[in-house]
Amino acid sequence: MKILFLFIFLFNISHVNADEIYNLIKIPNLEIYKLKNDNNIRYLSAKGNFKIGPNKNITCDKVNLDNLNAKFPLIEKNFNQYNSNFLKKIKLKYIVFCEDLFISEINTGGIPDNKNRTLILDINFNQKYFKRMIHHEIFHMIQNTHIEYFNEEKFSSFNQTSFNYAECSTCSDRLNLNLYKNTDGFLTEYSKSIPSEDMAEIFSFLMTDKETIEDIISTDKILNKKVNFIKSNLAKIDKIFYDQNY
Amino acid sequence: MIKTIKASKSEKILFIFLISLSIFTFTSFFLLKNKCLFVEKNNLDTLKFNKPNNISVMNVECGNVIIELYPEISPKAVERFKILIEKKMYDGSAFYKVSENTFVQAGDIEYGNINNLDYSKIGSGKSGLGLLNSELSDDFKFTVGSVGFARSSEFDTEDSEFFITLKEIPIYQGEYTPIGRVIHGLDILTKIKTGNKAIYVLRPDFIKTFRMLNSN
Repeated sequence: MKILFLFIFLFNISHVNADEIYNLIKIPNLEIYKLKNDNNIRYLSAKGNFKIGPNKNITCDKVNLDNLNAKFPLIEKNFNQYNSNFLKKIKLKYIVFCEDLFISEINTGGIPDNKNRTLILDINFNQKYFKRMIHHEIFHMIQNTHIEYFNEEKFSSFNQTSFNYAECSTCSDRLNLNLYKNTDGFLTEYSKSIPSEDMAEIFSFLMTDKETIEDIISTDKILNKKVNFIKSNLAKIDKIFYDQNY
Repeated sequence: MIKTIKASKSEKILFIFLISLSIFTFTSFFLLKNKCLFVEKNNLDTLKFNKPNNISVMNVECGNVIIELYPEISPKAVERFKILIEKKMYDGSAFYKVSENTFVQAGDIEYGNINNLDYSKIGSGKSGLGLLNSELSDDFKFTVGSVGFARSSEFDTEDSEFFITLKEIPIYQGEYTPIGRVIHGLDILTKIKTGNKAIYVLRPDFIKTFRMLNSN
């Protein structure tokens, strides 16, 4: 009997967020920012701060709409580079805008979540790298959904044998996002952290500054192999996307 | 000798007030408590339908909710829905998930029936007919009274649970398989019991019967 009462009590006090957006992507305090888009992507914004994740270790603050309105044209232009079929294949449908995004107290520009087809973006991320950050995070969604194409061991084999990546992306001090003058197999310092970040960095440059990459790979043999590896695998995922962008 | 005492004017007023209060309390308790009192009843004999084969009638505490099914949009889902109705599997099904003025959800055949209500498992029950592939439509708008198949967080997991929207929910477009739309009795759905600060309802309301119009 006591257990029954306890159950009834718990049943009554465990508040379930009835928000319909929450029901879909499991992030509270969101509202629709823009729903209708040619590539079926849906933009949502945080109307309040939220904490998510198994230990509530992902935190982000509500969006200042004036701030978002000012940045949205650039964001939309970059997402429009992806067609709806490609987005479907990489399980991306919802873009969540918020400010000051942290994961385990580490500031980050974006957090991809293929399971909920969501990419959370910090609109206050360093504007110098903002465009690239969008594509960088999208690459993580591409890799997560097509792990068979982006084998990290094979990708790592393009590097000089003496080179070793770090154990994880945040457990090294290789965090600088500036393009190297002398690339020598890596576009940025962050590329040297782990293979998936190396791939994501290359992809982000391919989507934002293709000409520079073409110049670099004409002299950098290692990067040439890496770029071709990524491009050829993207073509396998979606030929239309490949033809439109490369 | 007994001396008669006449009631004063103020005592008379107080007496009338107490009588009025008693009448008001009585009416409130027995009449206003009846949540179905001002709900319009839908008499099936007087209503006309263009596609009677696609009309289903869900009878709940406050009356009939009439739903038109859309097999041209979601053929497999509507076929399943009709099978469940014809087998009377929705009879006694609990509206266990209700968000006030947003949606009502029922149809857990296994754990959400009046004869077998398992609060610890409700929402995870199966119909025994297998899972369906999602039939998503980018054109179907989930406006007020839209009926859709519920699913888990994954697509292609539709079985028997369905929801009815009580307001427009644009974000559901292209996310859930549409089944049909309520054409009469939407106000009846707004009377369905909601949870106490939660969308899961303890001691929920039930579907009394669910039939296709032609089988009535």
